[in-house]
Amino acid sequence: MLSCDDYLKPKSLKEALQAVAQAPAGSRVIAGGTDTLPWAREGRAGDVHVPALIDVTKVAEFQGTRIENGRCRIGAAVPYQPFLDDVSLRAALPCMPYCAIWFADDQIREQATLAGNIVNASPVADGTPALLTLNAEVELARLEGDEVAFRRMKLAEFITGPGRTQLMPGELVAAIECETAEGYGGSFEKVGARRSLVISSVCVAGLVKTSEDGRSFADVRLAAGGVGPVAFRFDDIEDELVGAEISEAAVEKAADHAARRVASRSRVEYRREVIRGFVIRAVEDALARARPAIPHTPSLKEAIHA
Amino acid sequence: MPEQVLELTVNGRKQKKIAKPGARLLDFLRDELNLTGAKEGCGAGECGTCSVFVDGKLVKSCLMPAMKADGATIETVEGLANKGELTPLQRAFHKTGASQCGYCIPGMVMAATSALRENPFADREEIKERLGGNICRCTGYQKIFEAVELARDVMNGRLPATAIDVDEKAEKYIGANVRRLDAPSKVSGSLRYAGDMTMPGMLHMQVLRSPHAHAKILSIDTSEAEALEGVECVVTHEDVPGEDGFGVFVHDQPIMARDKVRYVGEAVAAVAAEDLATARKALGLIRVEYEELPAVFDPFEAMKPGAPKIHDYADGNLTKHIPIRKGDVENGFAEADVIIEETYSTQAVEHAYLEPEAGLAYVDHDGVVTVLSPSQNITHHRHMLSKIIAKPINKVRFIMSAVGGGFGGKEDMIYQGMLALAAMKTMRPVRLVFTREESIATTAKRHPFTTRLKVGFKKDGRITAAEMEAVADGGAYGLSTEGVMRKAAILSCGPYDIANVKVDTRGIYTNNTPSGAFRTFGGMQVQFAMESHMDLAAERLGLDPFEIRYLNAMRDGAVTHTQQKLDSVSATRVMEAAEKASNWERGVPNGRGATRSDLGGPGTRKACTLGARLAEQADHRVEEEVA
Ligand SMILES: Cc1cc2nc3c(=O)[nH]c(=O)nc-3n(C[C@H](O)[C@H](O)[C@H](O)COP(=O)(O)OP(=O)(O)OC[C@H]3O[C@@H](n4cnc5c(N)ncnc54)[C@H](O)[C@@H]3O)c2cc1C
Repeated sequence: MLSCDDYLKPKSLKEALQAVAQAPAGSRVIAGGTDTLPWAREGRAGDVHVPALIDVTKVAEFQGTRIENGRCRIGAAVPYQPFLDDVSLRAALPCMPYCAIWFADDQIREQATLAGNIVNASPVADGTPALLTLNAEVELARLEGDEVAFRRMKLAEFITGPGRTQLMPGELVAAIECETAEGYGGSFEKVGARRSLVISSVCVAGLVKTSEDGRSFADVRLAAGGVGPVAFRFDDIEDELVGAEISEAAVEKAADHAARRVASRSRVEYRREVIRGFVIRAVEDALARARPAIPHTPSLKEAIHA
Repeated sequence: MPEQVLELTVNGRKQKKIAKPGARLLDFLRDELNLTGAKEGCGAGECGTCSVFVDGKLVKSCLMPAMKADGATIETVEGLANKGELTPLQRAFHKTGASQCGYCIPGMVMAATSALRENPFADREEIKERLGGNICRCTGYQKIFEAVELARDVMNGRLPATAIDVDEKAEKYIGANVRRLDAPSKVSGSLRYAGDMTMPGMLHMQVLRSPHAHAKILSIDTSEAEALEGVECVVTHEDVPGEDGFGVFVHDQPIMARDKVRYVGEAVAAVAAEDLATARKALGLIRVEYEELPAVFDPFEAMKPGAPKIHDYADGNLTKHIPIRKGDVENGFAEADVIIEETYSTQAVEHAYLEPEAGLAYVDHDGVVTVLSPSQNITHHRHMLSKIIAKPINKVRFIMSAVGGGFGGKEDMIYQGMLALAAMKTMRPVRLVFTREESIATTAKRHPFTTRLKVGFKKDGRITAAEMEAVADGGAYGLSTEGVMRKAAILSCGPYDIANVKVDTRGIYTNNTPSGAFRTFGGMQVQFAMESHMDLAAERLGLDPFEIRYLNAMRDGAVTHTQQKLDSVSATRVMEAAEKASNWERGVPNGRGATRSDLGGPGTRKACTLGARLAEQADHRVEEEVA
């Protein structure tokens, strides 16, 4: 059970940062609460009493998403469901709807924030690999004297280990900013113990863009979670595939290389097997969804298996 | 205790209440507003029994702090329809029989309501996906999906309203769809389970449990806990006035640990306090001194000479041995052309009924000790409790509340005794509601079995003899082990006519969580061995798996393994029906692989995937482009 003496709902970023600065030691920031509340139960942290819970979901600056100049800014209070429901977000961030559909369920997605997922920094957080393919950055806010100050860093640098980030005491994640990827096909592959409401054992996110004639890979971005202490991009395979002609052999070879990157301590053979299949599937699925530049090209999935 | 003011609109009515700042929306709705349609099945967002609408979006109220909902508009299952009426969706649940234990049903109705609000034309795949956050254990999802599809079509006008309300006229009840009388109370959320009930002056119980698998209890000091403000009493084994001990067969388990603990999670003491938080706090103030004893976790180790002895009465830690002898297996094996011998193991399984254990006890105006709980065996419990609390049977009453799923797991009187003792000690009503974690950690599981099976076959597939030795991990207490051993022995070698049978089933005490009753009561574990064996035999002998079973099936007049003559046996008819329904293609089980034509046909399921609504959107996009 989680209990507290005070539940704060700051309305502005400055108020929120002040609350964080002034709250007694042991107070906690919460957004959707979907990591925090289950954590305070038997078998994990048990009963936890905190002086204050600082709910940041009403902070004005944390609301909503904005797409502008090839970039998308996602406020820290934005939950997962819009990535599934919002048509413009789906077009701009093509791997996110597939990530979202595999994330928890419709109800948790109304609560759980992308920012909370990132700060919680689980090695199997579904949002991390998807955001890595979108070259995401994290915007961090802090108080400097009486002023709100910001710093920014790449998501890949922000998460430093399981449950560890570069978030400093007193700091809040204000937003996640990423590139948009219109015209790319997106994909997300996930396996866990069951279909809904399951934490990934392994997951892979993919973004693929084809050349104008639809015959070769113009860009490929792939990232994995659950196969090491932190999620990572498959830069080596991406380099191998970009510019290559689309063929089953090329994808399979890349997938073989992907299996080598598995750095988990448990079930290594299983994860290698899964990663290999997932890389193939992530490329195939993304290709099938990539809008071909030239109409009437044969289905790209067919092209792979031709 | 600190307090904050909470203002919200619930089911159309404005509410302004003082709330504890940390309380969850679920607690607030249930405790402050007495809206118990939303239930706590897991407390961790996994099961969906607590689903409510907050500002039009369905969420799990067990993960939402009430203060987060300050100012919001809430809709609970109680608010879906006008009082005394049901929505088309609720009526469709009634019609299709989509409510069995009913505990998941209010949440299911909420999730289905949300699904149809989001997309009034959602197809079956999308409905499944949108209900993915709600778990059911006994109704089965099929009827639920049928109900949602029926309601969808009536609500969007594809079907007339009569499709829900009018039933086909049936001449008889058997084989006909009959409406459940209790369904309206379940689909509307008005049925109250034990954990939903309250009484004026009610106390809340929490239980201190053993951290050790096997340890002597040197002392229990409850004085500090008793001194805590708000604590009304602490009960331990010392409060038992009568003959302590319960169990379905052997009464080897004390209400609370006495002298020693035998498994992690065993109840040692229980606190009854004015509120839950105080009761939980008091648990931390009880001092128990233990002296750890060597423990044993494997039944084969437990049977060895010199193994730690778990119960004084049970030599070799044997709970029960059931031997069955029919014919002469040695002769039978001598006649066999092929003998197959294998060892099979099955694991412990949790029942995971959606309603965690809960009970409410009080002493009534006539001095009758009354326990209300979802007990699957109230009469037996009543008799046992009367001995334990040393009261005549007419001063002990058990009321069976709605059982939110049992599957055998609620046959054991593992908490009703503590409640009775606390009610007697305080003369106030006392309620205990298990958390999901507590339910999983402390209640009985399906017996894990290790089954060695040796069967002789003639070349044509006829069984000449079967010998089975099954060893079951009964855990720390007897509970239903004896009956489970008996059932396992009786069903051991399946519905097959076998002249020579030798079976031994043994239930063994270990320091694991006790094993108890679970659907099939031991039948499943031995059947797993026997049926796996039949498939192996079909492979070895080049026979079709159905064929080898037909050949050996008991027929009218057969004599069972326990030597009972059966007048009529339906086994072959059942097999014929199963073979037909599955579109089975005859042949040896191995060696056909992908050449089989009965795979992936009608009635078989494809691998699960998600994204029905995305696929649909994709289709629309293509259509638009084409047009
Ligand atoms: C039933 C269930 C299913 C789940 N399924 C999945 C799944 O499929 N995939 C998956 O990846 N995860 C899953 N999760 C985990 C969880 O839902 C996600 O990690 C979620 O994104 C966390 O976000 P939140 O807003 O709910 O986090 P919270 O619990 O509110 O916060 C998480 C952490 O982030 C911090 N935090 C939040 N916002 C900020 C901020 N703006 N600045 C600084 N710190 C902040 C909090 O202090 C806390 O430490 C599941 C959880 C549950 C209960």
